[in-house]
Amino acid sequence: MDWQSFAEMNSKKFALKRFPYALLGLIFLASVVPAQLWYDHWSRSERKPLDTTYNILIEPQPVSASTAKLVNFGFKEFLADYYWLSLIQYYGGGDPYGKYRKMPDLFNNIIELSPKYEAVYQTGLIIMPGEGYVDEAIDFGYKGMDNMPDKWEIPYYTGLVYHIYKKDYVSAAKMFERAAEMPNALPITKYFAGIYYNKADQRETAYNIFKTVYETTKDDYVKDRAKKNMDHLAIYFLLQDAVKYYHDNYKSYPSDLNQLVTKKVLKSIPEDPLTIGFTIDPNTGIVTENKK
Amino acid sequence: MFRKIWLIALNTFRETVRDKLLYSLIIFAVLSIAASYLAGTVSLGQDVRVIENFGLTAMFVFLLIITIFIGTQLVYREIERRTIYLILPKPVNRETFYLGKFVGLCLTITVAGLIMGAMFIGLIYYKAHYIPTSAVWAILFTILEMWFLTAIGLMFSSFTSPIASAVYTFCLVLIGHSSSTIWYIIKKAPNNYVKYALDVVYYGFPNLEKFNLRNEVAFNVTLAPTQYLSSLTYLIIYMAALLFFGLAIFRRNEF
Repeated sequence: MDWQSFAEMNSKKFALKRFPYALLGLIFLASVVPAQLWYDHWSRSERKPLDTTYNILIEPQPVSASTAKLVNFGFKEFLADYYWLSLIQYYGGGDPYGKYRKMPDLFNNIIELSPKYEAVYQTGLIIMPGEGYVDEAIDFGYKGMDNMPDKWEIPYYTGLVYHIYKKDYVSAAKMFERAAEMPNALPITKYFAGIYYNKADQRETAYNIFKTVYETTKDDYVKDRAKKNMDHLAIYFLLQDAVKYYHDNYKSYPSDLNQLVTKKVLKSIPEDPLTIGFTIDPNTGIVTENKK
Repeated sequence: MFRKIWLIALNTFRETVRDKLLYSLIIFAVLSIAASYLAGTVSLGQDVRVIENFGLTAMFVFLLIITIFIGTQLVYREIERRTIYLILPKPVNRETFYLGKFVGLCLTITVAGLIMGAMFIGLIYYKAHYIPTSAVWAILFTILEMWFLTAIGLMFSSFTSPIASAVYTFCLVLIGHSSSTIWYIIKKAPNNYVKYALDVVYYGFPNLEKFNLRNEVAFNVTLAPTQYLSSLTYLIIYMAALLFFGLAIFRRNEF
């Protein structure tokens, strides 16, 4: 039997020409609906919480920053944007481990590929410390200052990290001073430097900064605040001198500041323009600002 | 001779634009460039930058696919289908045929590149209401790079199979775009032998990063005119060398 007659016989036997393909297609298509319903039911009610082994796969797996810099085949900015979008999805989607383990790596990869990507520095300095990566954020800030030395925002936000998360007011003040020296820096930036030097008990430096701000700024609000801080610190220095005078004469410290008036060391306690006020430790004679 | 080259080029252009593969690649490229608009919407205010980088990358990748897959098959197909026997007995020498094929493919790539480029520029203009000069330069140099790769692909296809030509060309693309990495390794080379070997790779292999202006678009940086000129000079000299090598091999081929 040749092939042609075999085929003819088979076509008669199975009547393939009349086989209802379209009907079968419709049946299968209709079956898709229950399959979808089944899937939806599973995904909405029976789906177990994601386990960590699965999460390892969905967590971004960036290569090291040096590898990204070396092996990019000329797609530096594209890859920087790819990592940027991955980071946004990662941060926006929530982290299965409760700690965004890959966040510093992603940030570092982006700036290694695109060192002038300004928005990344600002975002990194705002969100990294909030997720527990304080030291990484500060290092990131320094890299930003090296890569973009004319952008005042980078030392500004690094200063905020020092203040909020490290309580290192001197470093914060130095960062704000650095930011203030850059072009287009907000007038209030140098004023903040004064505030942090004051917080760090470096009041002479703080006074000098407020004085410079007062003499140079064109912003009325900042000028007014700088003047009030100067007057506030002038009162502080006056009280310190008065306490010293009191101690030299009475061999003890006043129990409160009003005693300086009753013992006629001062005519009156000047009114604090910042309405913070001062207090004295009767044992050590140290004058401090009242806590707000 | 130039008229003959131009006629073969036009014929090659007609032949390639009838290829369904070209249309599908252009459509996918245009869709990919349009998709970069969507990527830009989830970029926290970096949308223009993302559109620029994703769009130019899509354009480069699709032009590269067109160049490699059509470029490496062009001459081979003529030999395989024996159509070359109909051309060579006519008063057309092998050099004319080879250069005509090259110019024709460059024409196809230029048209495809301009379609994608227009789409890309239109998208940027729609989003940012300006046309970055750096993007225009980047598109032009991407097209020029594809001309260069056409010369490479054509040279390989004159002595080997299309698949091998495509692989070799693609490897050269990877090497050519790793020139800064090679330079970095040269500086860190443990001894002079490694250094000299890498020097040969660095200076001998095409430095395709010279034509890569895509990274400058994100910051709208345009280069000094001398830099454009030096890249163009490099392109012309290297491309001429590749075409001469290709001609030398093609002339010796026995069909």
